[in-house]
Amino acid sequence: MITVQGLSHCYKKGGPAAVKDASFEIAKGEVLGFLGPSGAGKSTTQGVLTGLLPLQTGQVNVAGFDMRHPKRELYNLLGVSFEQSNVYAKLTALENLQFYAGLFDVPTEDPMKLLALVGLDHVARKRTGEFSKGMKHRLTFARSLINKPDVWFLDEPTTGLDPAIAHDIKGIIREKNQKGATIFLTTHNMQVADELCHRVAFIVDGEIRLIDSPRNLKLQYGERVVEVEHTADGALKTERMSLSAREDQQRLNHLLEQGTVQTMHTKEATLEEIFIAVTGRGLS
Amino acid sequence: MKRILVIVKRDIKSGLRDFLVVYLMLAPILLALILRLFVGGMTASPLRVAVLDDGSAIVSELSRLTHVETFSTREALVERVMRIDDVFGVVVTPEGHELIAHGNEMPGTDIVLRNVLRRLQAGEAVLPVSVGVRDINYGMSPLKLQGGLLLIIFTTVLGGMLILLNLIEEKMSNTISAMNVSPASKGEFIIGKGLLGFATPIVGSTMAVYILGFRDFDIAMFVVSLVSLASISLVVGFLIGVTNDEPISGIAAMKGVYVPVLASVLGAMFLAERWHFVLYWSPFYWGYLSMNAILLGEATWRTIIVNSSIILAITAAVFAALRPRIVRGLR
Ligand SMILES: Nc1ncnc2c1ncn2[C@@H]1O[C@H](COP(=O)(O)OP(=O)(O)O)[C@@H](O)[C@H]1O
Ligand SMILES: [Mg+2]
Repeated sequence: MITVQGLSHCYKKGGPAAVKDASFEIAKGEVLGFLGPSGAGKSTTQGVLTGLLPLQTGQVNVAGFDMRHPKRELYNLLGVSFEQSNVYAKLTALENLQFYAGLFDVPTEDPMKLLALVGLDHVARKRTGEFSKGMKHRLTFARSLINKPDVWFLDEPTTGLDPAIAHDIKGIIREKNQKGATIFLTTHNMQVADELCHRVAFIVDGEIRLIDSPRNLKLQYGERVVEVEHTADGALKTERMSLSAREDQQRLNHLLEQGTVQTMHTKEATLEEIFIAVTGRGLS
Repeated sequence: MKRILVIVKRDIKSGLRDFLVVYLMLAPILLALILRLFVGGMTASPLRVAVLDDGSAIVSELSRLTHVETFSTREALVERVMRIDDVFGVVVTPEGHELIAHGNEMPGTDIVLRNVLRRLQAGEAVLPVSVGVRDINYGMSPLKLQGGLLLIIFTTVLGGMLILLNLIEEKMSNTISAMNVSPASKGEFIIGKGLLGFATPIVGSTMAVYILGFRDFDIAMFVVSLVSLASISLVVGFLIGVTNDEPISGIAAMKGVYVPVLASVLGAMFLAERWHFVLYWSPFYWGYLSMNAILLGEATWRTIIVNSSIILAITAAVFAALRPRIVRGLR
């Protein structure tokens, strides 16, 4: 659905590249997450993919349209949600959605239904100038669904939302994907990446370091560890042992033979730990 | 087309909820009402005629219509006409009449007078003629005429100002990015935003001149001239709108545009004709000329079309030069 070949983007001519030679594909119905710290180049990538930023270097094809000269019809198929909410302050939530719906040539969603979906139906007739940051963010998110998009771009969809609402938003993303939407999302939250994405791209300083599924990454990079609680000299002790290090294996065998083990949990590495291991950087 | 209407509808809705926008739309009307109070207080100078008192019927007919002074000799009459104020001399001849003018009379008055005389001689009804004379007298009030012209120029600049504020709002809220990922094209966006900037000066100016009491002018010529004048304001409004990111700097830049605009209009009012060439660059100079002629009821389609073409040519040149900057700024 989306193919990107050798994409680079500089904001200033001769300045540093915000995205460097990025190549990836997103299959139809797939959710690809761009995971990386702030300033890594995630929003810039989304900007070029949606045509908001000009395509300078490389090839980008979205839903069969060449993004060097994107045709306006393409936008009937796309939904774009922004990192910073952007709605008309003097219009109500409902008017914002009705206006936006009027710009499309394809059947659109019922605005009230979308507002209910993101929990804004009770303030549908309130001007968004009076909204909190989180409410505006939800409205921006809801607006991106108005044209029932086939390809959906989400820039930091849950950032800044309280956990309960973030949970709902994740649910909506999962559901739209199950109905067939192809999704590109950016996040610096490893849980979002882990829970929602079929594949995750690690991006740092404008470079994609790797792309793989969270499961593969954990199998490949995550050191599998067991946490063992055992009694020694009458006291309860906790120890972490790697399943791959020879020394740790022997120690584990020893404890098992002694019969002093009380509990045992295998622990997976988190995506963040893997991110740090691969890129040498944290996510925040 | 559908999208343009959707955009215009939104701009109206949003504009009506914005104090500054409402104020800008009402300003020309308020100013016209204020100006009318002044104009109403000043009685317009009536058409004045000096005639040779030969006892002909025309003399008594004329004195029923307007202010008439009688003289017994031609020399005395000419001397009167040559004084500083606007007095026409009329001498009845066997062929009809002779009009003696000083040359400082308000343009157009002689046409009215000739018309009146022709009708009187033809023995036509005189009452409707007196109405015509009074109308022209109203048009002669310089405060009303020049005030009306300045108001018209002002409303066209306001059109640009509305666009500018609207664009800056789109940029500040970044709603322009949402527009840019919708099927609305840049052209639809520009036309949608521009329509209000067109409608405002046309509606505002028309209302202002009606409030000031102008009636006998050619509305088609008026609208054609307004459209051409509004177009240059729009281009300027768009340019300032896309190059400024907040309203204060935008309005400051707009003020910078007012200065040359006002300068060229005031120049057209007060400079001697032979210096007018220094104003040829300004579309507002040509607009002023057109409007002046239209309100005086003297305009010909030829003049209006020539002047409007000059304005549109200047606009097109400015737009062509700035187009890349405008389109880039709309990102
Ligand atoms: N409009 C801009 N002009 C100049 N530099 C920018 C602009 N937007 C982003 N950048 C720079 O580009 C880099 C990538 O930014 P961005 O794509 O926003 O990162 P992310 O979304 O991953 O936080 C950063 O170094 C940022 O400072
Ligand atoms: Mg970002």
